[in-house]
Amino acid sequence: MMHTIKVSHVAKSFGETQAVADVSFDVERGEIFGLLGPNGAGKTTTIRMMLDLFKPDRGTVSILGGPMTEEKKERIGYMPEERGLYQDAPLDRCLLYLASLKGLSLAEARQRLGALLERFDLAAHKGKKVEELSKGMQQKAQIINTILHRPELVIIDEPFTALDPINTQLVKDLMHELRQQGATILMSTHQMHQVEELCDRILLIDEGRNVLYGNLDEIRRRFSGHAVLVRVTPVLSQAEGGELPSVAGVEQVVPHNDAVKLTLAEDTAPQDVLRTLMAQGVTLEKFEIAVPTLDEIFIRVVEGGA
Amino acid sequence: MSKLWLVALYEYRRTVFKKSFILALLSVPLMISLNIGVGLLMESLENDHAPVGYIDHAGLLADPIPAPVTGSRKPVEFTPFQTEDGARAALEAKDIQAYYIVAADYAETSQIDLVYLKKPGRNATRQFYDFIQINLLSDQPPDIARRAALISDNVIVRSLDGSRQLPGGGPTFGIIMPLLISIAFLVLLVMSSSYLMQAVADEKENRTMEVLMTSISPTQFIGGKVLGIVAINFTQLVAWAAVTILGIVVARNAGIAWFQNLNLDWSIIGATLAVAIPSFVLASALMTAIGVAVTSSQEGQSIGALFFILHMIPCYLAWALIKTPNALLPTVLSLLPFTSLLTISLRNIFAAVPTWQVAASVAVQTLCAASALWLAGRAFRLGMLRYGQRLRWRELLKARSR
Repeated sequence: MMHTIKVSHVAKSFGETQAVADVSFDVERGEIFGLLGPNGAGKTTTIRMMLDLFKPDRGTVSILGGPMTEEKKERIGYMPEERGLYQDAPLDRCLLYLASLKGLSLAEARQRLGALLERFDLAAHKGKKVEELSKGMQQKAQIINTILHRPELVIIDEPFTALDPINTQLVKDLMHELRQQGATILMSTHQMHQVEELCDRILLIDEGRNVLYGNLDEIRRRFSGHAVLVRVTPVLSQAEGGELPSVAGVEQVVPHNDAVKLTLAEDTAPQDVLRTLMAQGVTLEKFEIAVPTLDEIFIRVVEGGA
Repeated sequence: MSKLWLVALYEYRRTVFKKSFILALLSVPLMISLNIGVGLLMESLENDHAPVGYIDHAGLLADPIPAPVTGSRKPVEFTPFQTEDGARAALEAKDIQAYYIVAADYAETSQIDLVYLKKPGRNATRQFYDFIQINLLSDQPPDIARRAALISDNVIVRSLDGSRQLPGGGPTFGIIMPLLISIAFLVLLVMSSSYLMQAVADEKENRTMEVLMTSISPTQFIGGKVLGIVAINFTQLVAWAAVTILGIVVARNAGIAWFQNLNLDWSIIGATLAVAIPSFVLASALMTAIGVAVTSSQEGQSIGALFFILHMIPCYLAWALIKTPNALLPTVLSLLPFTSLLTISLRNIFAAVPTWQVAASVAVQTLCAASALWLAGRAFRLGMLRYGQRLRWRELLKARSR
């Protein structure tokens, strides 16, 4: 299978500082891929090496089937961590200029821009200077700039910063649409719940190295403990967690959001617990294998080592 | 359209259609016109073409030779009076603006009294002394008398090696034309390189650099910026040149002598351009490097001002360059980057700059320009994504390219 991005053992240092030590991953066509890591882990440097803004000291990068070329730049949409638009230019002129550099004709760019400005509720502000727009509006303008030329590959750093819930949903819908249209998306963010919602696969890097890589569901299962989440009727609050009937083979009971988390003894299977609860006539609203959130996995991996 | 041209066009449009640019464009010719206008007005106010009387007690002007007048100067009529009473009556009747009394013992004392109610025009005073001078030489052949009376108009100043000659009244417009071209080029150079530095620093400040570099190549980016900025400054120069040409046409038609001789020495203009082109590339490349290396456009402007001072060194040393145009200092300044363009142009007015010096200067400027381009390329690759952090020279020379 041809990968949209293939990064193999890249490393990059700036003077004495090693920004990336050894990072490898593939991004497949049509997937939404999460590039995660704590601040200073090397995410931005990795992205810049992918885009040929930095040359790796070691390792190789293949993007859209080979090394980066000028022609490929028109097939990539990139929204960097450091947002940038011409502050003293009217919004529409700024976006049309940047679109023209991506190979769009003026007429085509105008047509597409009009539709996107409407969709992002920016049409009324198109004649305003960029510096006159709110942070959220500028963020939306950046997203428009990233996708206006309908790229095959979208690389987007913190797409939800400064967006309210309505606009966050708008961007999420847009990302789903882009994927349906066949675009590949690489997203770097610290908002783990967005990653859980959007990404198919992730790479977590720390101190410039891969620490976690693969399918998101598999990773969560890998990190799940021997525990189940249970909610019975009437709904148990956290304080009411103790009202759950005692079940043999359960070592620990702790409140967990709107349910309780039962940590099982090694020789106890979740089916045993379910059977016991049913036998006691408990009405279950929820019974599921407890898998950790990505936030929890992130903290566990970064603070405690994988 | 090539992306290079798109960058150039955008740069051009975003600057040229700004009110501040249009104001700057108009302000220079307006200021010059205003200054010239005020100068002409002052001169016309100081001149008075009404007749001037004289009483000649010395008998010097018994059979007067008319006062010599050159060029566009309008002759003042000199009216003889037999008595001071007659002259005074004419003065009070405003038939004359003033009258002179040439003392009987003028030959011994050189005494001439001037009587007036309002100070006479400078032109009248000047012409009266020419009138006296030519009549004092009435026993000489007329062409010698005339030459002596109008010494500044008839003497040709020639350099010792015979390579340059100037009229006694000073260089004509045609002679200083290469210097004016050189200054215009210097203005273009300083303005373009400052604009370029500002444009690159702005891209960093706006954080647009990273987006741009994933759309176009660094060559397209810098090439487009340079083209756009040169076009901006060329627009300025063309506008100013148009005003200058219009001024010259008006001045020639008005008969102003200084503008009559426009014979240009194309070899000097060629030498000026040969030095100017690599000087332009050198300044542009260095300003690009500065624009990328600094953290803000304001910081870049401060450093850019230093380059402007370097270019102006020949102006500070102009007297030494004029006095001994082929001495060691002018020779060294002709070879050094930044100072060569103005020095060579200035020297060329007063002496022929040896061809080897022009060739050596072009070679030095070209070498420096090539080095500066290399340096700018490295600075650009290293510094383009460095925000809020200055690029150090040591890093520039040591580090890997990206």
